[in-house]
Amino acid sequence: MGSNQQAQLPRRIIKESQRLLSEPAPGIKAVPNEDNLRYFSVEIDGPGSSPYEGGKFRLELFLPEDYPMAAPKVRFLTKIYHPNIDKLGRICLDILKDKWSPALQIRTVLLSIQALLSAPNPDDPLAENVAKHWKENEAEAVREARAWTMRWAR
Amino acid sequence: MEDDSDYEDSYVASDVEDYPTSEDGDYGYDPQTEPEISMRRAAYTVLSEEELKLRQQEALQQVMQVLSISEGEAVRVLRHCKWDVNRVNEEWFADTEALRDKIGLVDEQPTGSGRRKESCGICFDEFWVSEMHAAPCNHSFCRGCWKGYVHTAISGGPAVLSLRCPLPDCSAAVPAALVTAVSDPKHREKYHLYSLRSFVEDNQRLEWCPAPGCENAVEALHEVSNEAMDVTCRCGSSFCFNCKEEAHRPVDCETVKKWIIKNSAESENLNWILANTKPCPKCKRPIEKNQGCMHMSCSQCKHEFCWLCLASWQEHGERTGGFYNCNKYESAKKRGDYDAESLKREHARVSLQRYMHYYQRWAENDRARSQALSSKAEANDKKLEVLSEFVATPTSQLKFILDAWAQVVECRRILKWTYAYGYYRFGDNIPDEDTAQKQQQGFFEFNQGQAEMFLEKLNGVVEKDLDNLVEEFKREPGLSEVAPDGSVFVDQASSPERQAVWSKFREQLIGLTEVTRMHFVKLVQELEKGLDQLLAFYSEQPEAEAEAEVEPAAVSTAEASGSATPAQQATAKAPKRSKRSRISSRAAADKASNSAAAFSLQEADSELEAEAGYWQCRRCTVINRDLNSQSCSMCAQNRRGPISAS
Ligand SMILES: [Zn+2]
Ligand SMILES: [Zn+2]
Ligand SMILES: [Zn+2]
Ligand SMILES: [Zn+2]
Ligand SMILES: [Zn+2]
Ligand SMILES: [Zn+2]
Ligand SMILES: [Zn+2]
Repeated sequence: MGSNQQAQLPRRIIKESQRLLSEPAPGIKAVPNEDNLRYFSVEIDGPGSSPYEGGKFRLELFLPEDYPMAAPKVRFLTKIYHPNIDKLGRICLDILKDKWSPALQIRTVLLSIQALLSAPNPDDPLAENVAKHWKENEAEAVREARAWTMRWAR
Repeated sequence: MEDDSDYEDSYVASDVEDYPTSEDGDYGYDPQTEPEISMRRAAYTVLSEEELKLRQQEALQQVMQVLSISEGEAVRVLRHCKWDVNRVNEEWFADTEALRDKIGLVDEQPTGSGRRKESCGICFDEFWVSEMHAAPCNHSFCRGCWKGYVHTAISGGPAVLSLRCPLPDCSAAVPAALVTAVSDPKHREKYHLYSLRSFVEDNQRLEWCPAPGCENAVEALHEVSNEAMDVTCRCGSSFCFNCKEEAHRPVDCETVKKWIIKNSAESENLNWILANTKPCPKCKRPIEKNQGCMHMSCSQCKHEFCWLCLASWQEHGERTGGFYNCNKYESAKKRGDYDAESLKREHARVSLQRYMHYYQRWAENDRARSQALSSKAEANDKKLEVLSEFVATPTSQLKFILDAWAQVVECRRILKWTYAYGYYRFGDNIPDEDTAQKQQQGFFEFNQGQAEMFLEKLNGVVEKDLDNLVEEFKREPGLSEVAPDGSVFVDQASSPERQAVWSKFREQLIGLTEVTRMHFVKLVQELEKGLDQLLAFYSEQPEAEAEAEVEPAAVSTAEASGSATPAQQATAKAPKRSKRSRISSRAAADKASNSAAAFSLQEADSELEAEAGYWQCRRCTVINRDLNSQSCSMCAQNRRGPISAS
């Protein structure tokens, strides 16, 4: 089963997987699932001097049939208090939607998500109430995010 | 720039010669008799898909020449400027760099040697550079990846027309030539379709015909405003260029929009009110209404009540203002019968009832229009041929029947919209003190009523009367009597008796079609001028000026084309008649300012009749050649007296 899948897998995905393992980006781990090489288990370290610092956030990443023409599907599995990430872990990020380009890669996507943790954007919210909190009282929202990190992302 | 505007001028001028294309030979009859009634004719042309492609190509060529750019670049620039060639010139020469930047036009980058292998940034495979493709930015990808990229974008919709280089942060526009070079026929076709759609949909002067299955577009030949503009496509459907609803002149787009929203908001109430049964107000049993009379009597409890307001019939006497006025609310309010709460409820009900009055008439005329359309098609398909044998006349000479139907169709459409107009123009309850409003309402309703009356008559003659006539002809066999010496037929169809009956019918129908048309021309003209202005006009303008000013524009062409048949004479005559009647109307209005009936088109005018050499019966519309006779040769209607019931 495994080797058969490997044979059907586009060269690009094989190359990307190999590079993710051999030269990982700092603070990002992405490991393909043995039974499904299009499915990746991801772990992103919370960036320093962000309310997510010290947390390890698990994500899942799936490469659809028409990848790289279509964007990968990515979702947070670890609970996180962030204005651009909702309760189900879905992420509001332009390159995962209309700004996707086939010249982008798994690595660039994960780096963008890491950057999103450093710079939340409450003006383009996915989680309405979190974004509201962020805008009305940023210090308190940041405290809440830090508490969530301590509670769920250790 | 100067060259350019010259080009634009000649481009429009040649189109104007094609115009009017709205009357193309679908029906195969003289476009002169096209019933379209509008005072302000819109200049437009109908373009087929092929013609649109040519137009688009013309615009592209023009921009390519003037700006010395490639076709791919011209597409981008034109799209950005909504396919307005003049705007392209303005924006381009105002700041070329800014515009190029905005729409992703980059200078062609030098390509490296083809005898070299490079890795494709999408599939990571190695290719000879000569086998790879790139936008002018020269960011190369392999053909397979380009194909995937382009196909995905095409499947994503018309945004593919603004496709940029796949490299993140490179905003170079992907030229159409590259898109079509790498895509398969199916996707290529879709891309061309998007491109053509953009040409129409982004272009202020173009609109698609909204008729299902029709692929034509209509092009305005002048600067478009946001006013109603009725156009007729080659497929026969009419629509408003401004709001895309069905044609609705003389009523404005705003009224139409409000009316359509109102109808959908009220749809629940409408179902209730258009139903044929209502509960008896006393015993609540369902009572069915199967006649026109509003006086209901419950079969169970024998309660008598009014269908419209559900009040007891006893209250519908002379005392409350008579039956059809049904104005219990008014008088009850005056008597102070209602407390605030029931007053509010009563007001809501009256308001709904008032709406129903207009809605019913709007909907019935809409239905009647559809029926007339299919009757016309039926006549065109079959009926005329049958008739042709009965009256020994080629079908080409029976087209006046189609003209009559076409007139019915157009008048139903206008009449329908005058009900939406009436609903909004006059409030729920015009106070007695507001004599101006009352007067305008009376004026409008009188003319609407006149137009409607003639339309009903025309509809009846071309429908029932014609059918009866055909039935009559059927009973007298066309071919009869075999002479002793062999087969000599007496042709009943060309007998003088039948010919006389037929020509009388023909004159009546042609006359009636024209008279109906005139009434609607008048109605349309009034609404387009605005009732308040008209009334002011009637009460202020000196007579001489009035004569000079009220010249119905639309019919002046008919006047110019002098001809011999009575029908055409009637056409030529009509404008003068209506002009004259307006002026005498003004005099009458001065005398009895409140009487709407004073504005009658039927004002006797022996001078004009003498000039024309005939007088037209106001009841059956037959042309009477005896200027001395005082009663109609066809129906005995008095020449000057009130119109008697048929
Ligand atoms: Zn490739
Ligand atoms: Zn590029
Ligand atoms: Zn059409
Ligand atoms: Zn409109
Ligand atoms: Zn009853
Ligand atoms: Zn009533
Ligand atoms: Zn008569």
